[in-house]
Amino acid sequence: MTANVVNILMSGIFHAAILFLVSAGLQLVFGVQKIFNLACGSFYALGAYVGVSAVAAFTTAGGPPFLFIVPLALAGILVGSVGLVVERGLLRFVYDRDETFQLLLTFALVLMMEDAIRLTWGTAPQSTSGLYLLYGQARVLGAVIPVYNLIVIAASVLIAAGLGFMLTRTAFGRIIRAAADNREMAEALGVDMRGVYARVFTLGTALGTLGGALVIPATAAMSEMGIELIVEAFAVVVIGGLGSMRGALVGALVVGVLRSVAISVYPEIEMLLIYLIVIAVLLLRPRGLFGGAAA
Amino acid sequence: MTREAILEARDVRKLYGDFVALDGVSLAVGAGEFVSIIGPNGAGKSTLINVLTGVLRPTAGTVRFKERDAAGIGPVALTRLGLARSFQLVQIFPDLTVLETLLAPVISRLGRGTSLFRSLAGDREVQDGALEVAELFGLADKRHVPARQLPQGDKKLLDVASAFALRPEIILLDEPTSGVSTAEKSAIMEILVTASRRMGLKAIIQVEHDMDIVFGYSDRIVALHQGRVLADATPAAIRADARVVDMVIGRTHHLPSPPKGEAGRER
Amino acid sequence: MKGRVVLALAVAALLVLPLLLSPYRLLLMLPFMAYGVILLGLNLLFGYTGLVSFGHALFVGIGAYTGAFLTHAGIRSLEVIVLAAAVLGAVAAALVGLLCVRYVKIYFGMLTLAFGMVFYTFLLKFYRLTGGDEGMQVLRPLLLGLNLDAMPKTTYLVGPYYYYCLGVLVVAAAVMWRIVHSPFGLCLRTIRDNPVKAEALGVSVTRYRWYAFVISGVFAAVGGALLGPPTGNVDPTLAYWTHSGSLVFMALLGGFASFFGPVLGAFVFIFLQDAVMSVVPYWRLVFGAILAIIVIFAPGGLMGFFARPRPS
Repeated sequence: MTANVVNILMSGIFHAAILFLVSAGLQLVFGVQKIFNLACGSFYALGAYVGVSAVAAFTTAGGPPFLFIVPLALAGILVGSVGLVVERGLLRFVYDRDETFQLLLTFALVLMMEDAIRLTWGTAPQSTSGLYLLYGQARVLGAVIPVYNLIVIAASVLIAAGLGFMLTRTAFGRIIRAAADNREMAEALGVDMRGVYARVFTLGTALGTLGGALVIPATAAMSEMGIELIVEAFAVVVIGGLGSMRGALVGALVVGVLRSVAISVYPEIEMLLIYLIVIAVLLLRPRGLFGGAAA
Repeated sequence: MTREAILEARDVRKLYGDFVALDGVSLAVGAGEFVSIIGPNGAGKSTLINVLTGVLRPTAGTVRFKERDAAGIGPVALTRLGLARSFQLVQIFPDLTVLETLLAPVISRLGRGTSLFRSLAGDREVQDGALEVAELFGLADKRHVPARQLPQGDKKLLDVASAFALRPEIILLDEPTSGVSTAEKSAIMEILVTASRRMGLKAIIQVEHDMDIVFGYSDRIVALHQGRVLADATPAAIRADARVVDMVIGRTHHLPSPPKGEAGRER
Repeated sequence: MKGRVVLALAVAALLVLPLLLSPYRLLLMLPFMAYGVILLGLNLLFGYTGLVSFGHALFVGIGAYTGAFLTHAGIRSLEVIVLAAAVLGAVAAALVGLLCVRYVKIYFGMLTLAFGMVFYTFLLKFYRLTGGDEGMQVLRPLLLGLNLDAMPKTTYLVGPYYYYCLGVLVVAAAVMWRIVHSPFGLCLRTIRDNPVKAEALGVSVTRYRWYAFVISGVFAAVGGALLGPPTGNVDPTLAYWTHSGSLVFMALLGGFASFFGPVLGAFVFIFLQDAVMSVVPYWRLVFGAILAIIVIFAPGGLMGFFARPRPS
């Protein structure tokens, strides 16, 4: 019985770990640039596919399968640089526009990336079959958990801590928080907003692509994964509060664990429960758990 | 000149957390009065306006419009009762023409807002009502110009005109001459006074910083300071009130001397 | 006057199209006309009231599945189906709208998206009722009481069904035209342009937004009901958030500041999608690029090139 509960919980936390990465990216971009990036799910998908390819190339080139997580994570991070291209090449043209247009531009990205991925990798699901259990399994309170999951959870926690550190202790982090709070004042104080925007968006994208890459061994890269994930990430940021990193963490845990519980108890309601919570949050406490007044 | 108060605020207090924006403000405006509210920034004028126009609910105290409770009932309900306002920062409908801007309040006044299938262009009563106001405010020849293309002075006039088009009993003008040149100011005020006479307005309340305008047109001046009414009297009495003079403009200046025909303005 | 001439020509062209176009092209006209009705409603909300809904496909789904349920239950009169869809769309929009119209901009978008996805999940998961991801069949409806089952499918669709849809589109356009040019329509535009000022002039912003939401929901459901019969099948993707996004895309493409812009947008979307698909299956790539170009360079859409960017 406990084993069952632990299983559900750990599965939920694993999903939350991935969700946190993607949502953190979403929150960063929203907090600073006030743009809700619908394409964050697409970047997640991109990271997943690139991750699969990277691992495949690695093992074909003779790399030891045991180290597969290295090319996986590296690919996930590096492909995040596509965010810079997107920001400089597309997004910066709409910074002064109504938020509807900004949202629609990110939707345009969703469309383009969905097909770009299909074009490059085809429609069949891609996976790193077999490598998932390479790190073995651990017994946690009677339940059997893949060690890979624990590694990802640990990595996500580390990244969360790293982001927290960056935001509170580094100059860049201070600039991010200043820009999120009051853009005009930050600019008046000499902050190069163009540079900040470019770096924030790239960082946000990289978090998403990394999330996509890391989830791959546990599942398969599929063409709808992007547009499906965005609604989960959207639920996370609504519950946690738009623009808040703590919100991303807590929201991801809520969504991840609830979804896991729902799947095992009453599969029909899975995402339905989450959406209803989103609606409830939007109606009762629109700024979510940690959202600021600006939200 | 005692009258039944049409709009009356009694002991209004408004708190924002610990901050006291209004501290027991009482104000009564009756028919035939032109009341100016003056005071430095932060005195609570905007808060008072928002309370009087039903946008804010007072923390304590009452606001009554013609004996009906008007505290926090919202701007829409207040327009139905007979109170209209214009805005300090000019508010227009950028993509609507001058005429369309004036059609809206007339539609609201005549209760035609939910007429889904009536032709607006063919509704003579609404069209004539809007045109009449446009002519009163000298905007008739610009009636097909989109509001965002108007010069600033005309935008201000349009903002005020649209409030007038509601044919309210009392109109509350929030700095009606701010942001326009001195030459245009008196023109606007003259139009205002003429229009209110023509349209049967019972009283005007204005918030103003320009003392020439204040002393040139008011029957009564209410001086607000730190959320309290410092003085509420005729212009002559206010001019003699050292506290007000200090508060408003410091000791080195004098309040304007009365222009001709200041007292007993007909309405 | 020029506008009226163009309009008359367009209607005349639509009337004679079955004599000119190939059956394949004519079959494309059917979803176009359905989307035309949907977009007319959506633009009341978007172009005229200034609200961007990312969950409008919810009502399209309601209309579509109404057709499925009714034809399964033996009620095959298209008039009844359309009427039922309108009523259900109105009820759903009234309820959802009640909750959503108190919010604006991104919160409105998020709420509508969430509601849309709730419906999608319901359609997907409660498969015993709705057929799950395979959806439900829609049987050939009776047109004006006439049972045309004997007709070959294509003949039925490019003949009587085509003219039926055209009729619905024309009626829908006429109704929406009246609404937009009524005192109510002007009030909506004041809300779009400056809600604070509108409120100060006596326009109940929230209540009028709600009316606009309900009307647009009705149009979407009616259009949705027309979408079912041509393919004979409805499925949950009709309610998915990307479908809602495509609706907004169509409005933007044609130009949301004009009355017919969104209908034009639906036309271009459907035919361009077909044209692209005949060459490569990657229509989303092309369309995504088009949307990006419109957003950045031509937010007025196609009508922005032809007419001044002002409604009516």
